Parts: sequence; structure tokens; C-alpha cells
Amino acid sequence: MDTAFKGEHLLPGQLGQFFVILAFGSALLSTISYYFATTSNNQLDDSWKRIARFSFYTNTLSVVGIGTCLFYIIYTHLFEYHYAWEHSSKTLPVYYIISSYWEGQEGSFWLWGFWQAVLGNILIWKARSWEKPVMTIVSLSQVLLSSMLIGIELFGTRVGSSPFILLRDAIDLKSSAPIFAARPELYKNYLTYITDGNGLNPLLQNYWMVIHPPTLFLGFASMVVPFAYAIAGLWQKRYKEWVKPAISYSLFAVMVLGTGVIMGSFWAYESLNFGGFWAWDPVENAALIPWLTLIGAVHVLVVYKNTGHAYFTATFLVLISFILVLYASFLTRSGILGDTSVHAFTDLGMFWHLVVDVVIFLAISIGLIVTRWKELPISKKEEETYSREFWMFVGSVFLALSCLQLIIVTSIPVWNAVFKTNIAPPNNPVTLYNVFQAGFAVVVTLLAGFTQFLKYKKTDTTRFYITALVYFVFAALITALAVYVSGVYHLHVVFTLVMLGAVYSVLANAKILAEAFKGKIKLAGSAVAHIGFGLILVGAVIAAGTSKVVSLNATGEQYSAEFAKRNDPKENILLYKNQPTKMGDYMVTYVGDSLSMPNHYFKVDYKLMDADGKVKEEFMLRPNSQANRKMGLVSSPDTKHYLFHDLYTHVTMAPLKFDDEKQGEEAHSEANDDQNYEAPISHEVAVGDTIRFREGYMVLKALNKKVQVENIPISAKDVAVGAQLEVVSHGKTYQAEPVYMIKNGSAFDFARKVEDAGLKLRFSKIIPEKGRQEITVYQQPESKKAYIVMKAIRFPYINFFWSGTIIMVIGFLLSIFRRNKELKTE
Amino acid sequence: MKKSSIFGLIVIAIAIAVVISTYSNSSTYGSFNDAKNTSSELHIIGHLDKQKALFYDAAKDANYFAFYMKDKQGEECKVIFTGTKPQDFERSEQIVLTGQMEGKEFHASKILMKCPSKYTQDKVEITEFKAKRANI
Repeated sequence: MDTAFKGEHLLPGQLGQFFVILAFGSALLSTISYYFATTSNNQLDDSWKRIARFSFYTNTLSVVGIGTCLFYIIYTHLFEYHYAWEHSSKTLPVYYIISSYWEGQEGSFWLWGFWQAVLGNILIWKARSWEKPVMTIVSLSQVLLSSMLIGIELFGTRVGSSPFILLRDAIDLKSSAPIFAARPELYKNYLTYITDGNGLNPLLQNYWMVIHPPTLFLGFASMVVPFAYAIAGLWQKRYKEWVKPAISYSLFAVMVLGTGVIMGSFWAYESLNFGGFWAWDPVENAALIPWLTLIGAVHVLVVYKNTGHAYFTATFLVLISFILVLYASFLTRSGILGDTSVHAFTDLGMFWHLVVDVVIFLAISIGLIVTRWKELPISKKEEETYSREFWMFVGSVFLALSCLQLIIVTSIPVWNAVFKTNIAPPNNPVTLYNVFQAGFAVVVTLLAGFTQFLKYKKTDTTRFYITALVYFVFAALITALAVYVSGVYHLHVVFTLVMLGAVYSVLANAKILAEAFKGKIKLAGSAVAHIGFGLILVGAVIAAGTSKVVSLNATGEQYSAEFAKRNDPKENILLYKNQPTKMGDYMVTYVGDSLSMPNHYFKVDYKLMDADGKVKEEFMLRPNSQANRKMGLVSSPDTKHYLFHDLYTHVTMAPLKFDDEKQGEEAHSEANDDQNYEAPISHEVAVGDTIRFREGYMVLKALNKKVQVENIPISAKDVAVGAQLEVVSHGKTYQAEPVYMIKNGSAFDFARKVEDAGLKLRFSKIIPEKGRQEITVYQQPESKKAYIVMKAIRFPYINFFWSGTIIMVIGFLLSIFRRNKELKTE
Repeated sequence: MKKSSIFGLIVIAIAIAVVISTYSNSSTYGSFNDAKNTSSELHIIGHLDKQKALFYDAAKDANYFAFYMKDKQGEECKVIFTGTKPQDFERSEQIVLTGQMEGKEFHASKILMKCPSKYTQDKVEITEFKAKRANI
């Protein structure tokens, strides 16, 4: 590498790489110092602690430094860096530069590390007596995260992947660009040939992609805190005390991760075209799994705090939640999901690195539990059957079981790798997940309902049965009505049961909320969160279960009898431009396009008619596609939101031209333009006559003898006549004026097009003896006309899903306030 | 028996049920040859035969898409998919089909295609500036 390359800016990368190494080193030092600070016998000597703190601060600064360098590189378009070249381009607006920042794995690891550093600082500030053991674990996790970014060769294998790798090191430029092979002297100037980056995947160019990843990664990062407290509790034998702070941090993690997951779901719904808000994709499952286990953990932590029962379950669920976060990042980032997921990350060669990450924390957890097993405060006494703690415990175990199902199915490629089997994922994973998860949801929501009527320790049985039953009857009535109206009863019976459970849980918790307003304000948080969770389920079941494809294609020609027999739901509708088509209750018309590069918007007009054929409602939706040479054709939906349902539409197919094709088009189109039309038909007409064509008619209104054709001077000897035609097609009127001309003794004519009606009109002859004119009509055949193929889905009551999420987050917030208050008062 | 033991048994039973159901619901990877001999749905991995034409004409039927695929054994078969042509299909490097044989045609209910180049491109696009060469 002695070549001097022109135009490279090496400083930001070298600085960044320096910070990467510093981040790793300081995290390591911090871990070691915190470890010795914890185990040191002389608790008055806090020199270890000072070193540890100092190195953690250094780590935080280095992480910020890495971020700054990387941002500078992307922001100033330094394409000599592979990361900038691969994930951004010059045309990208600033706010999407932020999302390109974490499009790659390195950027998302950085984001994770950044949040973990922030949380570490909060812990140093707040954790007091817990600081040393807890920060040992947090620092250790920071060591592993930093190591993912190192990207240096060690014993022949590359450890981690640095975001500061140069393009010429990451990619063999000489072999991929023949020009350098042919003329090696050009190689040192390679940068002048690289004018732009790859750009950001169009799907990620969405404002949700600016905010969704930071939220999600804050959620992932904050899972380490309860884990660290659980480990610290075992390590320091403070079995009882760790629970209280762990509850607050767990609630925070659950709230943020939950918000992040739903944001992702909203992003998918608003800008991806897989037609829904949840698809049980491994990447989605990976985020959901630790969320569910930590929700379970929160509940048993509360049980343990209040009754002393369920210590082991609480510890286990807290520990496993964080390990599952690491396992999830292994699943999605190692490339092992291979051909089972559309959006698993590519393999960056970190397979074993990610495995080691999981194994280290798993080993620490198992090791500590085993060594402390005999001392663990596991209660010998059984919980009462009619006690809140017993049923909270049962509910948590069921949450964990639902995770087990998700893990087992999502990990099929892992089982294949481990056991050398060759099992394919289920043919119908969505149904499998839906039915199973719904089954668990039934149990969990029913428990979240009737457990509200139980007290800790012991409850009056008769009273409990009466209240629980009364509310159950109410819930059953409401459910019966809801299920009937929404049509959920057409589905698998388990979904009706989920509705019942969810409604029951909403009602029971509404009662608690009412009591909270009367004074028991402490209970508000959990009641609100449970109501939110119930509403999410109601929304999800109705919206996903009874969503209906509106764009049923009634006219599509059949290809073979066999094909027609099977006639799968034909869910895409073909819309020719300006040709109204009936779609469900709507009359839809593809009326035009608007371009706002790189997006190509298709304007689709919707009219809702009442019985008399009057227009009740009219609106325009603009689904868009990007025809990008590098990424292909990418469509984003557009949705009409009503209070009680959404109409969701996206273009599945359109004869779009790539950006670069559009330019060359104009030049050569004239010559063979007629090929785009059917054989012309000539009509001899007089003024006032009507000519019919397939999709309408036209009237020759007048002849214009003063017509001007651009730049062609008309002398006294020449003749130029325009035929003023009024064209009516599909209820719209257009004007066209083809021109007939005799100049210097020869005849010409100038055709005029009516693009929207698919017509080309020629004034081809004047027949003076008859007093008539010949108008030649060219019509576009159907296949040459502008069209789109569109899919439209109606999602009923989806707003329950979104509003339930907001309510649940509010509930978590209230609970965090309550638990923090409890921490302070004691 | 103690309440917790009963509950423990229930949990174990559910766990076993989950494992069994996963296994029984899972599918198998196979070839077109396997598909001919079975009536159940299969996953077939292969690649698009780019020599042969794709058939998709939205004007005739927006929900009919046909193409030829070669499986890993190199056997070729006509595939019919009821739906629109997936965007960028021509560029796919690998296709995973889910579906079954209907006569001589394979009817796919799901297509999963991999276009690795979509996200990570290992080829640099070079734009040439002829004018600048003079300066070198």
C-alpha cells in the first residue's frame, strides 16, 4: 500500500479508528477496575472505583467520538469510506443521512453502544451501593459491543467490523472495475471515478426510520440494567434488595422496547408493501421475544417484592431476557436465517463473535446460579390458590411459554445448523404463530383480568367469585356483540377467545382504574397498561383477522380451465389510466402521475357512490414507487385513515421506466411511434359530425384557417388548416387540433395526441369536392396504455391497535413513577 | 400432589406440545422431482432460468405470472404464481418457492427471492470522465 491516493481524507477515519480502539480499551479497563472495586476487601479504598469511573467516562467520550467521525464522513460524502459509499448518496437529505447512519450493522452496534454508555453514566450517578457490581456487568457488555466495531485482524481472523474501513480495502476495485486493470496508473486517482454512493435503500427513506431504530436500540440497551442488577444480587448475596431498582429499570426497558417494536410495525404498515402491521418475520420476533420475557419478569419481580415467592422465576426471567436480546442479535446479524427471512442482515463474518457474546453472559448467569443455589431464598411454602401472587406467577410462566414457541420456530435454521438436519420452516408460519400466540394470549389476558380481583396472600373466595363472574358475563356480552359485528366469528375459534380475554382484561382493569381515581392512585399504572394491552389485542385480532382485500379482480381473463378452477383469491386489480373501475364500494380511477424524484406518485381517485349513484365521498390516494436502477422497483403504500377502518393501497406493478431510461426516450420515440397504436381508421367527416371510437366520441367543431404551427412560416401560397376536435372519453372532455398543411406544393400534416384518452389524431386529407375532411384516428391498444396494478386492503378497527399502544406506554410511565417514588421513600 | 407440581406438569406438557407442533408443521426442502411424487407442499430452492422468457402481462391478467426455474439438481420446471410479478424478479440470484406440482407445472404459493446486490453491492459503479484523463 505505498500508492499515494489522490483526494482521500484519511484523518476522520484514523481518528474514528483511534476512538474505536480507545472505546474497547477503556471499557475493558473499566470492567476490570469495577471487578476489583467490587471484590476488594478494603471498602474504604476507592482507587479502583476512581479508575473504573474514569475509564467509563473515557469510553463514553470515545463512543461519542466514533459517532462524530462517522457522521462527519457520511455528511461530507467521503466516499473513500466504504460505509459512506454503501449507505448514503449525495442526493440524500440530511434527515435521511441520519437513517443511513444506522442502516448498516456497524452503525446499529454503535447506536446500541451509545445508549449503553448513556445508561452507564446514569447508573454511576444513581446506583450508589450497587454501582460497583452493576457497572462491572454493564462495562463487560460495553467491552463486547465495542469489540464488534474493532475490525482488526487477530490470529488470522477479523474481529468485528469497523465502520471506518476504506472503500479500496473493502472492495477489490481492480477486479470490479476493468479500467483499473487496463490502466493501473489510473488507480491512484480512483476517487475521481467514484462520484456517488450507493444510496439508502428507498424503503428506509421514511421519517419512522429516523426515530424507530434509536428507540428500539435504547430498549435493547436498557435490558442490560435489570440483568446487571440480578447478577449483582446473586454475586453480592443481596438477594432481596436488587429487586426494587430492577423493577423500575425493567419497566423502563419494557416501555421503550415496546414503543420501538410498535414503531417498527407502524413503519411497516405505512411504508412497506407486505400488506399489514405484523408478519412474524424473524426480525420482528427477535425484538418481541425479550420483550415478552421481561414483561413476565416485571410481574414476578413484583410478586417477589410483595410476598417473597417466586424468587427463582424472577431471577431466571430477568437473566434470560437479556440473553435473549443477545441471541436475537445473533439470529438477525449472523446471516444464519439465510433463506428464511427477507430482511435478515448479511453475514459480516461475525458469526462466532456473536456466539461468544451470548455464551459469555449465559455462562456468567448459569455459573452464579449454580454456585449460589443453596443460598437462594426459594420459599418452601406454597402460594395460596386464591392469592394474586400465584396467578401472576402463572401468567408470567405462560408469557415465557409463548416465547418458547416463538424461539423454537424462529430458530429452525439454528437447529438445522446444530443438528445437521434439513427442516424447512412451516409452510404457513403466520397461521401457526397466530393460532399459538392467540392461545397463550387467551390465558394471559384472562389472568390479567381476574387476578385484579385477588389480593396478595389471601382473598375472600365468595366475593372474588362473584365479582370475577359478573365481569366475565359483561365481557362475554360485549365480546359476542363485537365478534358478531366485526365478523371475527368466521375465524378460528381461538380468536374469539382472545377477544373475550382482552375485553375481560380491559373491563376488570377499568374497575381498578375507577378505584384509582377514587384514591388508590398507586394502582393506576398497572390498570392503564393492562387496558392498553387488551386494546392492542382487540385491534390486532380484528384488523388482521378481518382485513379484506378490496381490490378483487373480477374481470381478469383466465388462462386455463385448471387455473380458473383453483382461482386463488385474485387480489390485484388492473387500472388503466382514466378508465374508472369498480372496486368494492368504490369507483376508482387512475388519473395521473406526479413525479417528485425519486418518487413516482400514482394519483388514484376514489369515489364512493350511494344508492342513487350520487357521489358521497371523493378522495385521492397517492401510492408511490421508486424506479431506482440500483435498488429496483420499490413501492410504498398510501392509506386513507378513517376512525374505524383504514383503506390501505399499494401499487404492485407498473410499467415504470428507470430514471436513466426516461432521458433517452424522447429522442427515438417519433420514428416508430405508430407501433404504439392499433391500425388507424380514417373517417370522412364534415363540420359538426361525430366520430366514435372505442372509449368515447369526438366532434369536429370547426376548421381553423388561421392555425399556426411552431416555427413554420406560412406564405400566401400555402394552406394550413386546423381541425378543432372536441374529444369526450370516460366523461372527460379534451380539445385537440391536428393540422393539415400544403407548403411549397407538398402536403404535410401534424398529428396531435390526447395522451389521457390514448389517442393520436391526424387531419390527413381535405376532400374539397365533397366538402369533407378526413380525420385518421389512432387508438392505443389496451396493453400500450398507461396502467397500474394495485392492491387495496381494508383494515377495520386498526386504531384500537395504535391507541392501545399509546395507552400501554402511558401505563408503563405511571408505574415507573410509582416505583421510583417507592424507592425514594424507603 | 402439590399445586406447583401439577402446574409444572402442565408447563412441561405445553412445552412438549410446542416442540411437536413445530416439527409436524415444518416443511421440507426438496427438488422438483420430489414434488412430483408428493401431494404436500414443499420448499424448493433454485434459480431463475434467465434464458427463458418470463410471462407476465398485466393487461391480460394481473394475477398470473409464469417463469422457468432450475432447482439445485439442475432440473427445470415451469412455475406459475398467482399474483403480480415480484418487483425486480429478473435480478434475483436465488429463489425459494413454496408450493406443489399441478400436472407438469409447479404452482407456487409463495416466492422468496434473494437479491444480495440490493443491499450490499460488491461491485463499484464507475462513471467515466473522459475530459479529466488529460490531467493525469
